[in-house]
Amino acid sequence: MMQVSGDVQIIKEDNVTHSFCGLACVGWMYQKIKDSFFLILGTHTCAHFLQNALGMMIFAKPRFGIALMEEGDLSKNEPTLEEIIREIKADHNPSVIFLLSSCTPEVMKVDFKGLAHHLSTPDVPVLFVPASGLVYNFTQAEDSVLHALVPFCPEAPAGRKSVVFLGSVNDATADDLRAEAEGLGIHVAGFLPESRFDKMPAIGPDTVLAPIQPYLSRVAVKLERERGARVLHSLFPFGPDGSRVFWEDLAREFGITIDLSDREKAAWEKIRSQTELLKGKKVFLTADTMMELPLARFLKSAGADVVECSSAYINKKFHARELEALAGVRVVEQPNFHRQLEDVKRIQPDLIVTSLMTANPFAGHGFVVKWSMEFMLMPIHSWSGVIPLANLFVSPLHRRSNLPEFDKEVWLEGVMPSAE
Amino acid sequence: MRLAFWLYEGTALHGISRVTNSMKGVHTVYHAPQGDDYITATYSMLERTPDFPGLSISVVRGRDLAQGVSRLPGTLQQVDHHYHPDLTVIAPSCSTALLQEDLHQLAAHSGLPPEKIFVYALNPFRVSENEAADGLFTELVKRYAASQEKTAVPSVNLLGFTSLGFHLRANLTSLRRMLQTLGITVNVVAPWGAGIEDLKKLPAAWLNIAPYREIGLTAAEYLADTFAMPAIYEAPIGVEPTLAWLRSVIENLNRTGAERGVPPITLPKLSAFSLDGLSAPSGVPWFARTADMESFSNKRAFVFGDATHTVAIVKFLRDELGMKIIGAGTYMERHADWVRKELEGYLPGALVVTDRFQDVAKIIDDEMPDLVCGTQMERHSCRKLDVPCMVICPPTHIENHLLGYYPFFGFDGSDVIADRVYLSCKLGLEKHLIDFFGDAGLEYEENGDAASPEIELSTGNGHIAPAVEVEKESIAVAEDGEMKWTDDAETMLKKVPFFVRKKVRKNTETFARSIGESSVTVEVFRKAKESLGG
Repeated sequence: MMQVSGDVQIIKEDNVTHSFCGLACVGWMYQKIKDSFFLILGTHTCAHFLQNALGMMIFAKPRFGIALMEEGDLSKNEPTLEEIIREIKADHNPSVIFLLSSCTPEVMKVDFKGLAHHLSTPDVPVLFVPASGLVYNFTQAEDSVLHALVPFCPEAPAGRKSVVFLGSVNDATADDLRAEAEGLGIHVAGFLPESRFDKMPAIGPDTVLAPIQPYLSRVAVKLERERGARVLHSLFPFGPDGSRVFWEDLAREFGITIDLSDREKAAWEKIRSQTELLKGKKVFLTADTMMELPLARFLKSAGADVVECSSAYINKKFHARELEALAGVRVVEQPNFHRQLEDVKRIQPDLIVTSLMTANPFAGHGFVVKWSMEFMLMPIHSWSGVIPLANLFVSPLHRRSNLPEFDKEVWLEGVMPSAE
Repeated sequence: MRLAFWLYEGTALHGISRVTNSMKGVHTVYHAPQGDDYITATYSMLERTPDFPGLSISVVRGRDLAQGVSRLPGTLQQVDHHYHPDLTVIAPSCSTALLQEDLHQLAAHSGLPPEKIFVYALNPFRVSENEAADGLFTELVKRYAASQEKTAVPSVNLLGFTSLGFHLRANLTSLRRMLQTLGITVNVVAPWGAGIEDLKKLPAAWLNIAPYREIGLTAAEYLADTFAMPAIYEAPIGVEPTLAWLRSVIENLNRTGAERGVPPITLPKLSAFSLDGLSAPSGVPWFARTADMESFSNKRAFVFGDATHTVAIVKFLRDELGMKIIGAGTYMERHADWVRKELEGYLPGALVVTDRFQDVAKIIDDEMPDLVCGTQMERHSCRKLDVPCMVICPPTHIENHLLGYYPFFGFDGSDVIADRVYLSCKLGLEKHLIDFFGDAGLEYEENGDAASPEIELSTGNGHIAPAVEVEKESIAVAEDGEMKWTDDAETMLKKVPFFVRKKVRKNTETFARSIGESSVTVEVFRKAKESLGG
């Protein structure tokens, strides 16, 4: 158990859990950076994961693929990817190729850095992105992608103070954040990542990095160290509470003092019917996308009783403010799913936020569930995201109360013979 | 090393979990890095399992490898404590298989009794989904099937029915209905819903039914060798194959019955097999003779899939619906010889054997068949080309996991398949009208809805499927070099029915190139029409 501050304690377990590996980030990153190609050096397992769990279909020209290691490749010293890179360039003409590691080549100790360097050309750099499940969970490999992009962010000379938002969001959300900052008198230098490789933002000693996703601690530290940028340590901009603190703290970095408490109040007012429903509801977050800490903090502020907030990885410094705000809540890092199951049965939460793998089975046990991944695919940032965020939590509760009585002895018979 | 985007067959781990997820009291522990249990989502989302699939991961982390730590014994204890399985199957993933650990020894460290543990350490680089599933199922049958008295009444085992199998539940229902009509008892269905005790009593049945070439066949062969149990390996897909299958079931059971002095089973009036017990059991034989279907005679079909369904559907389309087969193929290389033999005389050319979906898409693009029967990938390829397609086998999509009763097996299944063919193809009379009078007043935009990229919604197959919009596909036309069309020729092309327009464009361009033209003018277009027959 580690002490953070106050009475926040993080319980650390053994990670016997259900979630995805870092390769999952390909699902949104290839769409975010539109002139990129994501090449995974991996096996049949990686391909099967991408096509099944991520439900990715192959469009006319998918900008991701797997350099498939077959049995014969295992005995070779170093993989030869020249042919594949040529094929990718001919078919896709990317500005950058991200080379993602996976478990098998990591076990084989493939020298990825050397490989990427060797395959790079001045026109089309090949960037190594560590992503394997041996080290990385789910969203964490976005951190690796951004890490690899750092050398391609121009050095911003000292002088004008400006903000760079850290984390990939869709263009509409990015526009909102930019407009909000500019409205407060904050100069926006851009987003890491931007949607084109050649448009990455300039970062330097007078850059304030504002993380807008909670899983990007490594790239933040790297930019702090290498460019002397300042990292904003605040709440993440989710919910009325998070949005107010985030914007006030960001403004303060620019010497602007603002009081957004009226705006926060108005935002809570807008979601009053939702928070009334959430009030006192027991919510359990099982750990999946690493967005759990800010989501739990919003729920707590909204009056819900967060009975457990688990996350695959917690960084005491990067998440410090969220952890402080979660004082009194049971916070678990790398939880054990078997233990969680027992606790869920005992505590009987009103809502469980959980992975794709476990949602339906929890529902089958009578619980109300929400896919944790939906929070990654919805515009829930800042003020404009307040209503969608609140609705995501409320919609399964409403839905359940609108459905007729359910006798599972009757309606689940024969659905899963192995469980009967 | 090759660049892959999508594969037909899943991994060995997937095959293993399909068997164990089917079974009661059997758990799989993956000795694997974070995320390799993604397979769980295929069950909890495609099959919408109301309980937790019996799959746990014993996470292997980079740090553990460096420190020589293994969590496997601990995970096995936890799984035993929480789920109390009768048997835990331990399987490595591709990366941990390379570590060459002694999984037997590691498993023994858990302190669990050896009879509760089964290490199934395949080479994941050599063995794929179906072979692993068939192999594990056979191993389990070998481990548990015990010699015993036969049941007093005629009985069968239904083998190879496995989690995520194609239209699994409906097929089982269809078989059960037919067997009930004959008064035959089902002894065990396995692995679907079977526990260890069920595997033990497999030899009590009089006959094994193993309709899937991919899974269950090896176990049935083992039971035949070891317990002298007869087996039927044919799949009752189509009306004639179903009749033959029924006769074969009866004949086999009566042979055993005669030895045991049990009165013979007879085939009842066929209406007994219909849903209401009063009507023809299938509408297919009459449907095939209608003028309606006669107009299907010239429809050209291409079939691609696993072994079982490729064979069955080719035969059904040609023998029962009277369609033309222009080609067929399979991704099951292991069973290609069997498919070839079964389809002797059915195919105009060689059987296509490939695991690259691009090869199949190319054939479809070149041939532009009137009907493609394939996997979800062919459905996808065909949507781009606006070619009618129906899915006949795995890999499937959420669209193949529906609530209604849509079997492929038996008389009921014949009706389902024929309906799908009928609904998928462009209709006969309607097509003539459109061919003759142009677009029949329908204003279809080229590259409109039908050809637009498919957006897989986020509840599809597991799914993150990106909420961010999908990139526009490039149009097939643009890829084939730069063949220019004059405005007049374009206008003329617009008069061609919308659904063959792409094909006509392509053929015309090929023709133009063959006569050395670099653009398509009205004159070239007319020449092409003459020489290509309209």
